[in-house]
Amino acid sequence: MKIPVQSFFRLFGAVGLLFALGLPVAPVHADSMASKLEQLGEMTNLKVTDLRVANRNGLLNIQAEITNISSSSERLFYRFKWLDSTGFSVWDEEPWKPVVIYGQQKHLITVVAPTPQATDFRLVLQSPNNNNSNSSPSSQTWPDRY
Amino acid sequence: MNMQFPSKLLLSLTAALALSLGGCATNSSSPEVSSGPVKYGDAKAVETVTNEFGSTDLQTIAETMARSLLQSRPVVQARKTPLVTIAEVKNKTSEYIDTRAITDTIRTQLLKSGAVRFAVDTHAMQNQTDELIRQNQTGLYKKSTAKKIGQMEGADFRVEGNITSIVKRTSDIKDVYYKFSLMLVNNESGVIEWADEKEIRKTSTR
Repeated sequence: MKIPVQSFFRLFGAVGLLFALGLPVAPVHADSMASKLEQLGEMTNLKVTDLRVANRNGLLNIQAEITNISSSSERLFYRFKWLDSTGFSVWDEEPWKPVVIYGQQKHLITVVAPTPQATDFRLVLQSPNNNNSNSSPSSQTWPDRY
Repeated sequence: MNMQFPSKLLLSLTAALALSLGGCATNSSSPEVSSGPVKYGDAKAVETVTNEFGSTDLQTIAETMARSLLQSRPVVQARKTPLVTIAEVKNKTSEYIDTRAITDTIRTQLLKSGAVRFAVDTHAMQNQTDELIRQNQTGLYKKSTAKKIGQMEGADFRVEGNITSIVKRTSDIKDVYYKFSLMLVNNESGVIEWADEKEIRKTSTR
């Protein structure tokens, strides 16, 4: 999806103004929601259904709602990228975090930015049951032994 | 008869052999020297090789705790950046876990955020006193540059905690539950100012 540069900056300006005023920004609009998500392959059964951003105590607070539209449990790997206003990364690579989302469940991912420098973010998502992706941030190479 | 010819031939053959062997070890199209199934992987990947405490557990525990501590009242409402020291995180599980590796990562993340300063902890105290004694008592240093004894800053808070586990197994399932709890204690008043927990469940089937 391509967003015109001007409208992108206008959106960013508006978000930045709301941050400066200390007002909660919620929820993120559908088109800008897509710009905050990086899906490693289109997820078939998991959908990001809501994304909220607020600035509390100088730190970015983010809540994402992931809905499992299937009736079976789904695994999800996710992590955040933290960026400053110029688009530079301000934090190391986060570890991938595994979650199990039950059938029909709406799971909330709530995070706080690690540093006040982070004013923007990307949510990177990967579900091992995607329809067109086989690579996964799981390092399992053989079955568990015990 | 010229006797030098065979030795020249031998020399050129040796050189050719050395070149061809060198060519085997490196692939000219890639900056990699490899001979076997060794590969670099993603250090942040979710590791589920076995059921024991692993890198993903360490990374997620440290990240959760550091982020939570950043939002605690003593850090958020501090008039000046609080000075914290790391006390011990006790390992009460049945397996070997280097809890210092966890607290080191927590400390690194908090320091990088800039919200907290850290004082030398008990493990690094020997180095600190050694250095001060070396500067002050060996007579080798200029008085003006020697760092004075008796100027160390006492920490306002200390971080301590413990990690416990519950392990259950049947003939075909092994379930491990870890609970990492951490707290921030005011060194002067002894009041626990903040505490948080991170739980992890890992189940493996045969």
